[in-house]
Amino acid sequence: MELFSELYNCYYQVLRRLLCQKESLTIREISDYIHAEGFEESLLSVVPKIEDGTWNLFQKDGELYLSRLKSDFLMPLSSLQKSYLKALLYDARIGLFLEPQQLRELQHLLADVSPLFKQEHFFYFDRFSDGDPCTEESYRRIFRVLLTAQKKRQYVDIDYNSPTGNRIHHHYIPARLEYSVKNDKFRLIAVKDTNRHNLKLEILNLDRIRSAYAIEKFYPCEIDLNKILKSTYYAEPVTLHITDRRNALERAMLHFANYEKNTRRIDDSTYECQIFYNKKMETELLIEVLSFGPVIKVTGNKSFLKQLKERLQMQAEINAVSF
Amino acid sequence: MSGFHELIKNFSKTREYVRDFFVYGFKTREEFKEKSPRTYDNERRRLESWLRPYVRRDYVSNGINLSLAIDSNLLDSNPLFRVWKTKSFTDNDIILHFFILDLLMDGSRMTAESITAALLTQYESLFDAQTVRRKCNNYTKEGVLIREKKGNTVLYSIDHTITSWLKSNDSLPDALSFFQLAECFGVIGNTLLDQLDCQRRIFRVKHSFFVHTLEEEILLSLIQCMNQKCDVRLAMKSFKNGNPRTILCTPLQIFSSTRSGRRFLCGYIKSYKRFTCFRLDSIKQASPCTVSEEYDKLQELLAQNRPFLWGVSFQNDQGHRLDTLTMTIRVRLPAEHYIVERLSREGRNGTVTIINQSVVRYETTAFDCNEMLPWIRTFTGRILSLTCTDKSVEQRFCVDLQTMYHMYQIETRHQENI
Repeated sequence: MELFSELYNCYYQVLRRLLCQKESLTIREISDYIHAEGFEESLLSVVPKIEDGTWNLFQKDGELYLSRLKSDFLMPLSSLQKSYLKALLYDARIGLFLEPQQLRELQHLLADVSPLFKQEHFFYFDRFSDGDPCTEESYRRIFRVLLTAQKKRQYVDIDYNSPTGNRIHHHYIPARLEYSVKNDKFRLIAVKDTNRHNLKLEILNLDRIRSAYAIEKFYPCEIDLNKILKSTYYAEPVTLHITDRRNALERAMLHFANYEKNTRRIDDSTYECQIFYNKKMETELLIEVLSFGPVIKVTGNKSFLKQLKERLQMQAEINAVSF
Repeated sequence: MSGFHELIKNFSKTREYVRDFFVYGFKTREEFKEKSPRTYDNERRRLESWLRPYVRRDYVSNGINLSLAIDSNLLDSNPLFRVWKTKSFTDNDIILHFFILDLLMDGSRMTAESITAALLTQYESLFDAQTVRRKCNNYTKEGVLIREKKGNTVLYSIDHTITSWLKSNDSLPDALSFFQLAECFGVIGNTLLDQLDCQRRIFRVKHSFFVHTLEEEILLSLIQCMNQKCDVRLAMKSFKNGNPRTILCTPLQIFSSTRSGRRFLCGYIKSYKRFTCFRLDSIKQASPCTVSEEYDKLQELLAQNRPFLWGVSFQNDQGHRLDTLTMTIRVRLPAEHYIVERLSREGRNGTVTIINQSVVRYETTAFDCNEMLPWIRTFTGRILSLTCTDKSVEQRFCVDLQTMYHMYQIETRHQENI
């Protein structure tokens, strides 16, 4: 079972889609498709092979290219893919997606296949212990309502217990379901109409949603979630100076790999790293930075630096009387 | 660069370049010292070709910084999966791939000879039977074709039952869209979505380290060794000095950090008689060896040790067997009950005791309390006391804190007492 195999090659996928077209294609149409779906320089490799017939996958009729394949061409699954599917069947979260009957059918189809991996192969030593109750039917029902509504841009009537203890009842448009590997929890990234007909971003913990019902109201156009999310980022990123001792540079670069960042070398042992973030990420980023201790120094922005200093000041005051 | 090819034969060299561009993202051409400038130029050009929308160029005094700007908060899939879809192939490979599968699409069972003949008559493609047989056998090995023997005749066919089931169950692509980001081997889920033409933008995953995908081939070898309960020979490269070394160990479990993004192989080294963890990204190759007679016994031993692990260290620098750490935290209950919850859910095997409405005590016993310091520092501003039977932990915590006070010009009183 090879993971790095031509079976999964991008060219194979792009050509398969072109070859499943029922209509004849011009070389321009083929080129445009390869340019859109392939790699940046794929055109240079693929198109000449089609044009000169080295890859005689198309039948040439004047200026037109007609696929030699049957239009219902299906790529069979490899052992690796079947084995991967089998492994997913042992994960409790699969029940969020498949009904018991579907699970039984897939189990049956994969009866002779060994799972690629098992849960016991892994030990997530710092995963939080209060993960979501993914096996509870009420949780699964809410999950499915939100997932279906998200795909249809359908409004959902949500009754929610906020972390501060308030009960919130509102109509939201689900934009994405977000899962945290560390927290083992799902959150709903939702938008709601404000009185000014703007969209406001809200984040709700799934295990705090008491009820969710889709209503007969649909948002008319695609929601550009990234545009909304990016608009929430602070104009000024956090700037960190990383001193490369205790392997700090490598640790920090990996630790903050999830964030959009920009790093440059200042001198032989110091690096400057700018991290882009928004208010909702702020506390987590702050404690992540604190966890590095003195090998990371925050030099900006002012607000982030102020919060970090406040924590240190509080600690210094405790030290003065307690330690 | 006339010899430039967008596709590659071998993944290992590329793996290191992609990692350097993604994780570091500040090295200029001159700073990639291990390879020749020409190799760097080719690798850079490939990377730009595969990952163009994510490549950022910054002009700095000593050259151009090329980096990958990948913000997982804004992405529904892992762009680095594309790196796995770059395996080179021959002209024969691609022609045989499509034509053989197309021939067998309708459920036919054919010999290599009859396939060879049909390739000529139906697709005007001339191949010798041996080439066709080799391809069919290769696809049988990969599980794409079924090979059965009837007397002296070998027949090849395709079973589309699972593919058809996947096509008719719309909720499975949703599951694949999720698991490709949330679990290991996500690239395989992603190839399934490619095949089903079902790439969906429905999930975001936090604390999922995209760069992990580069280690999946090594991970696959290690898991296969674990399944077979056999020892493994690891070819490693040190992060500190770049020196290569080889280690023979019994692979037992993959330890994964959801915070730092590091993954490790936990193995048992017979010659040292101890458990040790190796970072997956430092393993260059994992080769299976003989079956370990004591595999199950070692698994049991690891299970007994696991409750005393904070991270991946089975022993501290002082050589102590176990150390106990106690920390008291300032809170304002009930308003700040979330701090008590944090201690409980993040404190692994530690105990949390509410002393009174303003003080909470956390206590744990672990092999190496030094590993706890990054987590302890996240409570900065609230730590009333910290004691540890490994005094170097207390000392390091206090020294680091002092350094930070100095760094940020924090006013302190009675510094001599700390």
